[in-house]
Amino acid sequence: MSDTKAAVHTEGLWKTYEHDGIEVHAVRDVSITIESGEFVALAGPSGSGKTTLLNLMGTLTRPSRGKVWVGGSEVTDERESKLAKLRLHKIGFVFQAYNLLPTLTAAENAELSMLLQGITADERKSRVEELFARIGLKGLEDRRPNKLSGGQQQRVAVARAVVGKPAMVLADEPTANLDSHASDELLDIMEELNRELGVTFVFATHDPRVMDRARRLVRVVDGGIESDEARAQPTA
Amino acid sequence: MRIGLLSKLALRNLKRQLRRSFLTAAAMVIGLALLVFSRALAEGSHEDWIKSGSRMAAGHLTVQAPGFHETKKIEHHLDGAQTRAVLRILGDSILASVIESAVPRITTMGLASSPANAIPVLVLGVDPATEPDFSQLNQKLIEGRYLEPGDRLQAFVGKILAERLHLQLGSRFVLTGQDASGEMAGQLVRVAGIFRLGVPEADQGMVHIPLSTAQAWLGLGDGVTSYDILLKSTDSELLAREMLGELEESHDVLVLGWRETQPELNAAVKMDDFGSYIFHGILFGIITLAIVNTILMSVLQRIREFGVLRALGLQRSEAGMMVFIEGLMLTAVSGLVGMVLGIAFTWGFFRDGLDFSSFMGEGEFTMTGTIINPIIIPRLGSSEILLSLTAIVVIGVLSSIYPAYRATKIDVAESMKFET
Repeated sequence: MSDTKAAVHTEGLWKTYEHDGIEVHAVRDVSITIESGEFVALAGPSGSGKTTLLNLMGTLTRPSRGKVWVGGSEVTDERESKLAKLRLHKIGFVFQAYNLLPTLTAAENAELSMLLQGITADERKSRVEELFARIGLKGLEDRRPNKLSGGQQQRVAVARAVVGKPAMVLADEPTANLDSHASDELLDIMEELNRELGVTFVFATHDPRVMDRARRLVRVVDGGIESDEARAQPTA
Repeated sequence: MRIGLLSKLALRNLKRQLRRSFLTAAAMVIGLALLVFSRALAEGSHEDWIKSGSRMAAGHLTVQAPGFHETKKIEHHLDGAQTRAVLRILGDSILASVIESAVPRITTMGLASSPANAIPVLVLGVDPATEPDFSQLNQKLIEGRYLEPGDRLQAFVGKILAERLHLQLGSRFVLTGQDASGEMAGQLVRVAGIFRLGVPEADQGMVHIPLSTAQAWLGLGDGVTSYDILLKSTDSELLAREMLGELEESHDVLVLGWRETQPELNAAVKMDDFGSYIFHGILFGIITLAIVNTILMSVLQRIREFGVLRALGLQRSEAGMMVFIEGLMLTAVSGLVGMVLGIAFTWGFFRDGLDFSSFMGEGEFTMTGTIINPIIIPRLGSSEILLSLTAIVVIGVLSSIYPAYRATKIDVAESMKFET
């Protein structure tokens, strides 16, 4: 059964890899529903399967068993071209290593998903200007990624993820390469975007700062969900 | 497909690895420049071989009576009506504009006899007024003079033939051959001039006599065995052949090209072309592999970037197209630069040509009975440009297909683990 209002919903999800003839279960029988507007952390140590679970939710990889719904539509067996369209319009991604395109400026990187969406140049410019001002990147529009600090690059990555107005942003260890100050600033920005724009955020993390800010903490151990705890007030 | 965006990203990627892009492009530039120049040189030398061979033989095109080409028997000749019809067509302004020279000839095998010897020869009955422009044999004169209008019994003979028959200027000798009725007939002639062409076959076995003398000797009336046509350029061959072809049906004549009348020369041109295409094939194979390597390396180094783009919503096919465009841009730009460079380089030799005489040694250099000019003037036609453009497109497509295919096969989730 899918929750049609859920940002993402999984049922009996498995992801199994084979190494030298031995099956390794990266994700085991995960059933979870993340509602629109949630600010959720999937927490767990390295190798616990949280990134794989995030990739399954983001349609970046296909499950070995089980089903996935995004925005109420089942996507488990969808064609790759349809999944690419779904990601383009409904899902934003923030990666641990920023993964900005080095050949593009900060503004161009941020514009990328809008370019793919076919949004007009004026609209793209206006959205990027507004967002850059909001997240403290004003004046850095024309800089290439190698001329930005780690924190600034990750903010550009967040801008790229949200500027296309997705329903959900999946962030994989977004603070892993940042110092505490930059991490707090980035989390402030993401909380604000969640609160003001209603964007759903799902983090895969083992950073206590992120877990503290999450309003729902899902602990992932050995590919399965160990606990799923709703938290009324973030402690940060 | 978002071609504009993909092109922009492809261009940025090429700029990003500027040194590598430049080095790969340099290979393409040199390859294309070499292709243009060497093809222009080959075309120039072929044009010269064909013209030189055609001067010595039956021209670029020849109009004959059916049966003469196979049998060489004089009974198969053009009669007066056929000759006049040929002249009418040759008078057409379009045809006249592409013709350098057209001559009536009687060509027959005969025996040249003097008190000292008897030697088989090729006798050409020629019009002394027009023949010099065609065969230019008068320019090879070493003694006496060439035939002149009004001559009757004069003959122009090769140096080796004169030596073997012990002939000097003014010496008389007899030509014997089969006339139009199949009877043996003799003609007394006198040496007016001696030539040395440098082609042994001609120097020891060719005699020019006035056309009217040959007509009377062989009983041809106002007939000739052929009308030989030398064109200004082989480019006009098809046009001229088509126009002359009208006579084939209306006047029962046969129009033959140099490929049919000089099969050895045709084979030599084809073999030279074949060798040149093999050389260029190998060269472009190497260039293609170099470009494949560059683009593939650039794809493998950007696996993570492709993963990000795919995660953001770029279609699998678009990832491949981006790489394909990258390859095409690299080859197209460098290929066009190479082509322009090749044309510019070739242009420098258009007037004076390239002198290979130091490689050819003393005396005339001949091949299949044709004198080879040691100065080659490159010839750049639309076919060379078309060949270069085709090479650019083929190399561009071939070198981009595999890297593009690899880009479409990148696993998005796995690519994020890839260290750059």
